Amino acid sequence: MPRLFCCSCLVPRPAPGMSKKPAAQPTLHKVIMVGSGGVGKSALTLQFMYDEFVEDYEPTKADSYRKKVVLDGEEVQIDILDTAGQEDYAAIRDNYFRSGEGFLCVFSITEPESFDATQEFREQILRVKNDENIPFLLVGNKSDLADKRRVPLDACRERAAHWQVPYVETSAKTRDNVDKVFFDLMREIRSRKSDDSRATNGDVKRKKRRIIKCAIL
Amino acid sequence: MGPPPVVTGISPKEGPPGTRVTIRGEFLGTSVIDLIGLKICGCDCLLSAEWKSKNKIVARSGPCKGRGDIIVTTRSGGEGTSTVQFRGYHESIGPVKESAVWVEEAAPPSLPWGRRPMSPTTYTPPDPLGLSTEGDECKFPEDELNEMFPDGSGKLSDDNFQPGWYLLEHHSNTSFEDLKAGMVFLQRKVEGQKEGQLSFLKANTGAVMDQLDRLVLLKNMYEEDQRKNGKEPLPSLQSAIEESIKLADSLFSEILSRKENADKTREALSLLMRHKFLFQLPASIDRNIRKKEYDLVVNDYTRVKNLFGNTDVKLFQKILDEIDKKIEDLKQKLYTRMKTMPIHVQEQTKYIRLLISLNWEGDAAWVAITARKDYLMSLMEKVKDHFKHKEEQETNDRGKRKSKETEGEGVWSAWRAAWCAAACGALAAELHALWPLARRYFAGELAGEPADPQRHKDLKEMIIAGVELFSEHMRSCLLSGGGAVSADTLRTRLVANLRYLREAYDSLLKLDLPSQPLSIVEKVIFDYRVHGMTVFLQRALKRVKGLADKETWKIEEFTDYGAITNLPNLLETYMNDALSAIHKCVGSAGRREGALLADGSEPAAALHRHTHQILLAYSSALNDLAFKHPDQDFNNTSLSVALDQKLEESVTQSVVDGCSWQRRLLIAAANAHYTRRVTLTNIANTFENYGFPKPSQALQAAKEALSSLESTIAETYLEHKGDPLVGTIEPSMYMGRYRTDADALVDDARPYVYEIINNLIAVHAEVDSVCGPASSRYVRDICETVCEELARLAACAPAQLARAAAFQARLEYTLLHVATAGHLTRKAERMDNIVEGFKKRMELQLASLNCNMETV
Repeated sequence: MPRLFCCSCLVPRPAPGMSKKPAAQPTLHKVIMVGSGGVGKSALTLQFMYDEFVEDYEPTKADSYRKKVVLDGEEVQIDILDTAGQEDYAAIRDNYFRSGEGFLCVFSITEPESFDATQEFREQILRVKNDENIPFLLVGNKSDLADKRRVPLDACRERAAHWQVPYVETSAKTRDNVDKVFFDLMREIRSRKSDDSRATNGDVKRKKRRIIKCAIL
Repeated sequence: MGPPPVVTGISPKEGPPGTRVTIRGEFLGTSVIDLIGLKICGCDCLLSAEWKSKNKIVARSGPCKGRGDIIVTTRSGGEGTSTVQFRGYHESIGPVKESAVWVEEAAPPSLPWGRRPMSPTTYTPPDPLGLSTEGDECKFPEDELNEMFPDGSGKLSDDNFQPGWYLLEHHSNTSFEDLKAGMVFLQRKVEGQKEGQLSFLKANTGAVMDQLDRLVLLKNMYEEDQRKNGKEPLPSLQSAIEESIKLADSLFSEILSRKENADKTREALSLLMRHKFLFQLPASIDRNIRKKEYDLVVNDYTRVKNLFGNTDVKLFQKILDEIDKKIEDLKQKLYTRMKTMPIHVQEQTKYIRLLISLNWEGDAAWVAITARKDYLMSLMEKVKDHFKHKEEQETNDRGKRKSKETEGEGVWSAWRAAWCAAACGALAAELHALWPLARRYFAGELAGEPADPQRHKDLKEMIIAGVELFSEHMRSCLLSGGGAVSADTLRTRLVANLRYLREAYDSLLKLDLPSQPLSIVEKVIFDYRVHGMTVFLQRALKRVKGLADKETWKIEEFTDYGAITNLPNLLETYMNDALSAIHKCVGSAGRREGALLADGSEPAAALHRHTHQILLAYSSALNDLAFKHPDQDFNNTSLSVALDQKLEESVTQSVVDGCSWQRRLLIAAANAHYTRRVTLTNIANTFENYGFPKPSQALQAAKEALSSLESTIAETYLEHKGDPLVGTIEPSMYMGRYRTDADALVDDARPYVYEIINNLIAVHAEVDSVCGPASSRYVRDICETVCEELARLAACAPAQLARAAAFQARLEYTLLHVATAGHLTRKAERMDNIVEGFKKRMELQLASLNCNMETV
């Protein structure tokens, strides 16, 4: 019987149109911020949400933000899950990642270690989501500190090309490209969702994929 | 009503009770007090809420469990909504886990298996499957569980326990084998439980024994207590309680009374504080009066009058009375100060204003004006008395030391100058103070009753009285005196005094006083100027009168009009001195003063009169000089000499004491002549140069006087010179009469002819030495006199005189004629002319005649 429960939990999330929430609620896009500690995930989030730059560093555990935005003329809701970058919380990441529809993988251009860590995050996300085409943006933050740059732009671009994802450099401090990364990601999520809904009707491939996943588990 | 709060962010989104949560959103309240409610998962967290901004609140989560909204309520926006949720969960709390909330110590009621918990805080029941859940941190999302089991619960003790939930929650990562083993364990446990109480006791023997031991211990302690305190411990307890109640009551009442006292004191203090101003006012008034800050006093007084003027409180009235008394004193003081002279006008104005602002009954400004006027009068009198006194002292001193008379005179005059200066200064200063004061008074700036027409008149009278007093004093000071001091001193004094007067006048002019007092002062100045002029002229007159003593008879210069001494020059110098002094000192008119010597004015007439007098004095001085000595000489010397001695001798004798009287006569005449011709013209020019009206009348009179003097002198001289000469002719003519033989051959003139010629030469020499070109007149006149005498003698000669005698006489006349050819009178000249004419006409005849004669 336990296995049954297990399967039921993996039933795909209700399609947007089928949400339990009141129909008046706009479409919800779930964005997850990932990346090493101190690269500026919370700073980007707070800048996007509240136009506020927080100077003092306080490690995040798991923060949740949600607000209405207008995406290409359509009112949508963005739900941002700001996760902890510290290794202490690595164990609980899987659970979080499961609910994400799109990921902003953030590193600091002044910190090569954080750039290296993006590799692991990418792998973990792919493992959890089991989807090569999951909406994903590689974000190099702290572009205002160009004089302290230690991660070459070429390396970043190379990695993004290798993953086949966009690469954007941002500055939470100057709000440079902050809106861009969130909106780009939301567009990707939106296009993915419309693809999915089209494929819902008898897309065998997709169901198969879920079965595969179940077997892995 | 503003928009309702919306929570859009939560950090962190889950945590155990007491987690510090940062809530972000919009319209979370405009201020701390606007935030009136905060609920996280239904738990009220307002107490811990920390309002940071309208976008941010920091709070601590309450003892909630599960997922829930964060609801912020504000006064301005009402109850809000939340787009994010917080999940509260209870952590298993162990010795190494911190917890902010109180954990219930009671063990779960139905612990189906008998394992004793290791510590009271071990709250979570042990796993019923006997599997270790340690290291299984990977939690299954609770919301998914909730979705799966809508009515279930994961808790073992709950009624709606769902095993599926429990397994998913606790053993989602446990392998199937382990689960099977756990199943076996659980089954065994259940079997064991079924064995009954015995098995339970068996399983828990240790615990049961422990309980028994404790019960025994408790019983022992109870018995011991009973032994110690008896069966009834309550009465003592009751009395103790009652005592403590009483004590508490007394303590309470004491505290109450203290509190009451404290309240009263506080009230009194606050009253004092509130009316501190009033209570401190008397002291501050005293202090300010001492510091002379009267404005502050007035301010305070006005304020206190406004604030407490109508108060009914006795205490306040008392203080007000005290203050009023002080203010009265102050008023009196100010009044006295204001009246006390001397005082600067600004200070006085200040006092007046103060008095006005203190509601002093009366016209302060008018009193001040009157006081000033009185002061001016008294000051004048004082100055006068002071200098009079000094003067008297000086006079007394002079009486003692007669030798220093002139010096004393100078000092006396100096005192007058000082007096003048002091009086002028006083007048100017006081009027400077008084007039602006009066002006401001009448402009209404100083309250009082300036509208009263009587006041205007009074003020005018006051000023006029002051100025008149001044002018009177000045008149008596300057116009009455005038000692004989040197010209320079006099001039300096005069100029100085005049300057003082003018300064005073100027300052009065600047004050824009009415014309009446001004004209009074101007009159004083004018009079003084006239006085100065008169003094100079009188001095000149005096000096001219003294000229006679200055005559040294030393001939200074030969002019066309004869030899003159320095007298005319002195006259001119004196006149020049006087005129230039007048011009310099008093001639120039100051601002708004009349010209001193306007045509036809009184001073001009005085000037003329004085000039006239001076010139007449001069001529009379000349007259004196000319005729003073002759009186003696004629009586003592001349006549007797003329009779007894030879003329030459007498002349020689007279010359002994410098100059003979005839010579003086001549010199005087020359002086008069020169003066008439030159000096008077010079003086007239001087008058013109200085712009004074020309005293033509005086000059004319002087000319006449001088010319009459000249003729008088001439007559006198001739008389005195001619008489002895003529007198000598007869005796000397007859001296040789008896020796003259009638028939004797006449071969020479008789000696008297020589004598006459000699005498004439002497006269001529004398006259020529003095009068130069003008001498011919004297010689001619004397020749005429001599001729008349000779004619008289000839007429007296007896007709029967011998031919020889007649011949001789004829000879002698011819000789005389030749001798005096240069000094013939007009009559004689005419005869000569006739002879010459005749000679010309008869030249041929005469030549022929002479030719014959020569031949003969």
